[in-house]
Amino acid sequence: MNNQILKDENDRVDGVYKVTGKAKYFAEYELPGLTYGVLVTSTITKGKILSLDTKAAEKAPGVISVLSHLNKPSAPAYEQEGGPAMKIFYTDKIFFNGQPIAIVVANTFERATYAASLVKATYAKEEFNTDFEKAVNDTESKKLQGQPDYKRGVENAYKTAEVVVEQKYHLPIETHNPMELHGIIADWHPNNQVTVYAKTQGVKATQGTIANVFKIPIENIQVKSEFVGGGFGMALRTWPLEIATVMASKHIGKPVKIMITRMQMFTMVGNRPAAIQTIGLGANKDGTLTGITHRAFGETSVYENFTEGVVNMAKFMYQCDNVNTQYTVVPVDLGVPIWMRGPGEATGAFALESAIDEMAHALNMDPLEFRIKNDPERDQQRNKPFSDKNIKEAYRVGSQKIGWSERKNKPGSLVDGQLKTGYGVSIGVFNANRGRASVKGTLKADGSLILQSATSDIGPGTGTGMTLIASKLLGIPVNKIKFELGDSSLPPAPSQGGSATLSTVGSAVNDVCVSLKSTIAELAANSNMDATSNFIDVLKKNNLPSIEVTKQSQAGKERDDYSMYSFSIHFVKVKVHSLTGVVKVDKIVSVGDSGTIVSPKTARSQMVGGAVGGVGMALTEESILDHRYGRYINNNFADYHVPVNADIPEIEVHFINKPDPYINPMGAKGMGEIALIGFSAAVANAVFNATGKRIRTLPITPDKILATS
Amino acid sequence: MINFQYLRTTSVKSAIALLLKDKNSKFIAGGTNLIDLMKRGVSAPEKLIDINHVPLKQIELVGNNIVIGALASNTAVAENALIKDKLPLLAMALNAGASAQLRNVATVGGNMMQRTRCGYFYDTEMPCNKRQPGSGCGAVGGFNRMHAIFGTSDKCIAVHPSDMCIALVALDAVVVLANSKGERKISFKDFHRLAGDTPQLDNNLKADEMIIRLEIPVNNLAKNSHYLKVRDRASYAFALVSVAAGMEISNNKITDIRLAMGGVAHKPWRLTASENFLKGKKATIENFEQAAKLAMADAKGYGENNFKLQMAPNTIIEALNVAKSKA
Amino acid sequence: MQSSDKKTNQSDSRRDFLKKSSLITAIALTPSVAVKAAENQADERFAELFEKIPLNLTVNNKACKTSIEPRVTLLDYLREELHLTGTKKGCDHGQCGACTVHVNGERVNSCLSLAVMNEGKKITTIEGLSNGDELHAMQAAFIKHDGFQCGYCTPGQIMSAVACVNEGHTNSRGEISEYMSGNICRCGAYPNIVDAIVEVSKGGTEA
Repeated sequence: MNNQILKDENDRVDGVYKVTGKAKYFAEYELPGLTYGVLVTSTITKGKILSLDTKAAEKAPGVISVLSHLNKPSAPAYEQEGGPAMKIFYTDKIFFNGQPIAIVVANTFERATYAASLVKATYAKEEFNTDFEKAVNDTESKKLQGQPDYKRGVENAYKTAEVVVEQKYHLPIETHNPMELHGIIADWHPNNQVTVYAKTQGVKATQGTIANVFKIPIENIQVKSEFVGGGFGMALRTWPLEIATVMASKHIGKPVKIMITRMQMFTMVGNRPAAIQTIGLGANKDGTLTGITHRAFGETSVYENFTEGVVNMAKFMYQCDNVNTQYTVVPVDLGVPIWMRGPGEATGAFALESAIDEMAHALNMDPLEFRIKNDPERDQQRNKPFSDKNIKEAYRVGSQKIGWSERKNKPGSLVDGQLKTGYGVSIGVFNANRGRASVKGTLKADGSLILQSATSDIGPGTGTGMTLIASKLLGIPVNKIKFELGDSSLPPAPSQGGSATLSTVGSAVNDVCVSLKSTIAELAANSNMDATSNFIDVLKKNNLPSIEVTKQSQAGKERDDYSMYSFSIHFVKVKVHSLTGVVKVDKIVSVGDSGTIVSPKTARSQMVGGAVGGVGMALTEESILDHRYGRYINNNFADYHVPVNADIPEIEVHFINKPDPYINPMGAKGMGEIALIGFSAAVANAVFNATGKRIRTLPITPDKILATS
Repeated sequence: MINFQYLRTTSVKSAIALLLKDKNSKFIAGGTNLIDLMKRGVSAPEKLIDINHVPLKQIELVGNNIVIGALASNTAVAENALIKDKLPLLAMALNAGASAQLRNVATVGGNMMQRTRCGYFYDTEMPCNKRQPGSGCGAVGGFNRMHAIFGTSDKCIAVHPSDMCIALVALDAVVVLANSKGERKISFKDFHRLAGDTPQLDNNLKADEMIIRLEIPVNNLAKNSHYLKVRDRASYAFALVSVAAGMEISNNKITDIRLAMGGVAHKPWRLTASENFLKGKKATIENFEQAAKLAMADAKGYGENNFKLQMAPNTIIEALNVAKSKA
Repeated sequence: MQSSDKKTNQSDSRRDFLKKSSLITAIALTPSVAVKAAENQADERFAELFEKIPLNLTVNNKACKTSIEPRVTLLDYLREELHLTGTKKGCDHGQCGACTVHVNGERVNSCLSLAVMNEGKKITTIEGLSNGDELHAMQAAFIKHDGFQCGYCTPGQIMSAVACVNEGHTNSRGEISEYMSGNICRCGAYPNIVDAIVEVSKGGTEA
């Protein structure tokens, strides 16, 4: 494909806004009297605030107000007993280093920033632990069940198999780090009317949270979030700093804007939790898997629990009669994690897909052949057929494109001077979700269509996908369709997460279009027009400037009958420098098996983006703490290494592009997660194939290559 | 950031006069490091003296020296035809640092004054003897993967962050400094300091001095030069280890050799013992390996950076190999 | 270089500053009315005037005249005062490239440049790149090759890409990647960005 984009593929509908700087992100709304909030954060990890001296800050030029637990700005839900442990400005407790303890509001950003540096706190420190590995290994530490244990067949059957692989895999904390810094503008008007300009993956969720905390009717709150500069999961909740900003606006009666720093992005808006996983695999010598055991420990916080689907994949991805899983979460004194792209499934897939490769090696089998041999016909976990699954075809296409035939099964076989070449493969899988959403469609006599829904677009191209669905169904050109989103006053839709937006909102768009079509047909019949008449003519003949319809759509009972997943196969070719230990990803082929491709150009970009994220997860990304202080040491873009352009080779993307007959009217399944899930294992497997070195702790930095013998 | 006073000046003389007037003042040129440090609260000058308009941007051949003004931008130097032709090692090192945007404004003098990238230095809530003498060193016993293996002290194990300076120390550059009374010259290898008991001092620039220019003697290393930077990502990252290697090879023998390393010490680390060993020898892999071994004689790891004890000699060998192989 | 920089209370430094004001011998950047006012009556209002200095620059071919605190970065000046919000804040420390603008034709991180350092200079932001409704070739190529997803790094990428072509660093995909590495894209549109630059650098509009 060589990154050639076919001419008939549609451009992103909001492309012009994004390339001209006209796209407005939350911080870019001009409001009269806008003020600037800057946070003061804790410098200890655990304990209590003893004193907070805000005098100097209050006297500093331009300062309007300093809010903290000392003056408890009004938030009715926090004034009651119970509720969350972390009630911002209603507790003197410190749960993690970098926790917001005050907000300084001033008339300029510079003044607020300077004044915030004048706020001085004293603390009563308590002993703490931010070291997840230590907490896992400490028999005394608190451990919580993250998910019910799962067992099919014999527990730990792998142990008695002919060939056994049992290995431990470590993932560090990763930080989402979307390019846009987090924040919000809160504008609390008289009569308890609130407008917020948010960076959120769910305008309805943000609206609901504000209503709950401030005990005002939900319809008093309008959340706007038209453009979101990336989220990757971190904008799936309303964070305490956003509540603090709303408090501040309510308190001073002016709009308050906050945009946190890149350093603060590491502490107070979630992260991919660290994990330690043990995989046990058993197989017959002929390569038949006989036992899978997946045990995982995941990081959570002390003040709020977080769990995700780390061990899901082991239950159904391979044909195996004996499977057991266990998922335990272990609290540490850090900010609470949140789903990060691919979420727990990406964490689990690194371990499982590395172990599968290790087993293939132990069996002296081609890992591709081993995977195909153990590819399941049915979902053994749910005892249902898959609605649609084309993995074998995906393996075939991808292996051809990467040049799998060049690969040698014996590691370290392809050597050219100091460079060693290796190939790796892995699979990614994620639940093909579909929720409930409403869409309003307005078909106008001027030939245009307006579609509206309170969904979000954090980057995948939601508006583009929806527009293409409507265009195809109604035969209206793309440039005559407008899809409006990112406003809580529009018909409700769920948050953008779990790769479900296209399936969920797209289905409602489908239903709206089908309904509009039949209304037009009815009108045509009633006015003695041809059934194939253009809707413009029909509306004009009926003297209607427009017709509108709102439809709610959700999944039906087909979900009871079928197991629905999206799949991806990642092929990676790497070159490893044996003297410096540098791993260079040389080529990537990702194959998506996720039903119909509605918007080829943006779908392809999503797969490319997932691969880039996967390169980061595999090779460069790790949020590092100094556990003596409980503070991050590389909390910036210079030291936390998100891949740069030079890290990324050409990426080929292929889609199976066959409709899933059961998921939704489009036959389309989500793609955001599978673009990343499993990718890191493909890299680790390629590194092993190149060097014979098996790195089980991410990221695979040059020092690890040199250290492993 | 405090609302400092901002002054502009157009001559070396007035710049120094302004500097002397207030001890809590600083020069600002490109500002790419200083503004970053001010935003982090690491540096808080009350007065900034903008020296960008002082005419010190020359890049020219003067006699047997290539002269580079202190205010020439990193890009201007890296893209200069004379530099590319005569000192490709310097151009390579410059292009290995930062990004195109930063190099466009970062100056030669500013690059020399660049402060360490140590995370403890940058976080005002952590101990750091360099930022706050006497507060301790967070990196000793802490996160020290990026830190020094040569010339360390128990007070500080931070590394010098520049790439340009690694090439300059290899090229025997001379730094010309001015104060109100006149100029003095200092060899580049003596410009930066080891941490010792005074890690707060990165270099030997005196409080009343200004960097004026560099003088780099012309050499015959251009053909067989290479700057190799090993880092955690392919670009826009500080070095784990870097090596500047330049050789003059005639009749299959090494007649001149320069070797320096970055990412390993508090100053650009010249590998004199390795150079002495290689001088007059054949450019063979065996000799490169021996030279790399000699380079590591006094190296010491601090735990997380122990890998550098292997990565450093490997990188020396690879850099020499690549330099030698250039046609 | 100072060994350790003491943090100074703002009001102290203001008093200090006022005391020293009449001694300033460098180019006078302070409006004389403010100096007089400050000498006569050093209160907050005048101090505020005094702390700002005049600034003249050209942004997207428009002359801009203002009075500004020296600590305001070019980025914050563009975004908060001129409301040219196409230029983005991604890290505020020169580590991501989202704030890239052209200063006198060269790409620069506007977050690490004080506005006052740009006196008399010509600034071009993403808003000044297109000719009315007619997109710059690089903007059109970014759309065609889908060189973005969320769009937040995009203005910086495009400003950087235009400079990359002007500089002539487009001799290979590898060279483009290296010279575009100062612009981080978390959505991971890198190969598409390179495609767009390859197309523009070839001067054609064909893929």
